[in-house]
Amino acid sequence: MDAPVVASGLTKTFKVPVRQGGLKESVKSLFRREFRLVEAVKDVSFEIGAGEIVGFLGPNGAGKTTTIKMLTGLLHPTAGDARVLGYQPWKRDKDLLRRIALVMGQRNNLQWDLPAEDSFLLNKAIYGVPDSVYRRRIDEFAQRLEVTHLLDKPIRNLSLGERMKMEIIAAMLHGPEVVFLDEPTIGLDVTMQRRVRQFVLDMNKEEGVTVLLTSHYMADVSAMAERVVVISQGSLLYDGALAGLAERFSSHKTIRVDTTDLPADLSGLGRVLERTPERVTLEVERDRVSEVASRLLAAATVTDLAIEEPPLEDVIERVFTQSR
Amino acid sequence: MGLQREMQYRANFWVQLLNSAIALGTGIAAIAIVYLHTDTLAGWSSVELVTVLGVHLMVGGFLRTFVFPNMYRLMMDVEEGTLDYTLTRPADSQLLVSVREVEMWSLIDVVSGLGALVWAATRLADRLGPAHYLAFLLAVVCGSAILYCIWLIAATLAFKVVRVDNVMQMLSGVFEAGRWPVGVYPRWLRTGLTFVVPLAFAVTVPAETISGRVDWPWLAAAVAAATVALVAARLVWLWGIRNYSGASA
Repeated sequence: MDAPVVASGLTKTFKVPVRQGGLKESVKSLFRREFRLVEAVKDVSFEIGAGEIVGFLGPNGAGKTTTIKMLTGLLHPTAGDARVLGYQPWKRDKDLLRRIALVMGQRNNLQWDLPAEDSFLLNKAIYGVPDSVYRRRIDEFAQRLEVTHLLDKPIRNLSLGERMKMEIIAAMLHGPEVVFLDEPTIGLDVTMQRRVRQFVLDMNKEEGVTVLLTSHYMADVSAMAERVVVISQGSLLYDGALAGLAERFSSHKTIRVDTTDLPADLSGLGRVLERTPERVTLEVERDRVSEVASRLLAAATVTDLAIEEPPLEDVIERVFTQSR
Repeated sequence: MGLQREMQYRANFWVQLLNSAIALGTGIAAIAIVYLHTDTLAGWSSVELVTVLGVHLMVGGFLRTFVFPNMYRLMMDVEEGTLDYTLTRPADSQLLVSVREVEMWSLIDVVSGLGALVWAATRLADRLGPAHYLAFLLAVVCGSAILYCIWLIAATLAFKVVRVDNVMQMLSGVFEAGRWPVGVYPRWLRTGLTFVVPLAFAVTVPAETISGRVDWPWLAAAVAAATVALVAARLVWLWGIRNYSGASA
């Protein structure tokens, strides 16, 4: 079977009106508008296999949302092609729309003045979910996300996190095969984030749901996705295992040594990040790691030694700043 | 959906009732005053003119109940980017954006308009046969469809220019002109009202049929115009969602 999500050479160019400040320019722009072309997404290709959770990373304005909009059929690409479950998404085939879902953390989908359950019923009607399936899913999802007692409260009375959980329930009610989550945990506290993450993981494991996820929280990504696709300024930077990201973008590892009798001068080994009487943390170039480690072991009585990849946050930050 | 929400604001009912009563009252008063000075107005007797008022209120009520709130919501959704959700649903998007909201209390206008019509119709009963009622029904449906299409097309412009409140306001203003049969207006304005905003189709033609003066060519034209409007609105809508880029997040 083909991969449920295939993007090949996706490109989106926006025509943005340019207007200088000032009254004269404003009046002029009423008659003749000047445009500038902005390449939001440039030749992006990737595939997501069935049942995979892929993290979609990039700084603000990198083109993540634009890509997701093309994959959910909201935008026509300027060039390139995409297939979701075999369909070109922008043809907006009803069969495709019935099998995917989109959740955007920054936008409300549910009716503000009504209890969540009323919005769910609307979705049930639109997607044609049978009664028994609907009931079972609502009960199960609400229980897992711990919102059963909130189903009959108007959305406006719920907290941000509770609202987000309802949004996710609404999106999963029709049993979508592919789910696009655009910053699903934005603004949520840690417990709420964890709960949402676990829910997505369960859906993935139990129902085989394929997920494309964007998030600015590395904890989200590392908890859910094994593979990441990184874009910056519209171009694909990296596509591969999350673990490989550090290898690719960070030329250093850190070595942590627990010891008391190291020589004072460590400048030949690496950059000292932290030094206490009992512990030294060094940043060492990737290809010198084993050499440095053995020299450390030879030079002192070491109680513990750990070689670590730099924290994901730092790696990502480096990726983003490098690409600018 | 919209209905359940409206129930939460029951005070609206009384305000709307008052509004409707005032609209009907001033309408009838205006007609009474006009007919103090003349027996016919552009060929319309006073009772016949009440049918115009009735149709105007009824069709206006329809617009306020179903069309305006949905089109307003559509504009807001475009502005806030929440239309994305509507477009990712496996249902016809035009249908979906057209039926989400119901401003229930404006149905009172439909009822009072209908009341005025029944009153006028009983007075004109000797001229009216079943054909008239059927023709009237057809004319009202066509007229309402045309108005819906015009508003949908105007709201679809929101895809391009984001805020179209002014256009909506202007259209509402023009619709107010439909209080009087288009015949009372000077020719140039009449042409505009018929062809730019087909008020004649929406209000005058139905009123004529229920006054027992079925103008078959006009009725046929109304059906044709409604068909054209529906097709045009559909095309504009499809064009709109093709061009919709959403408020980028």
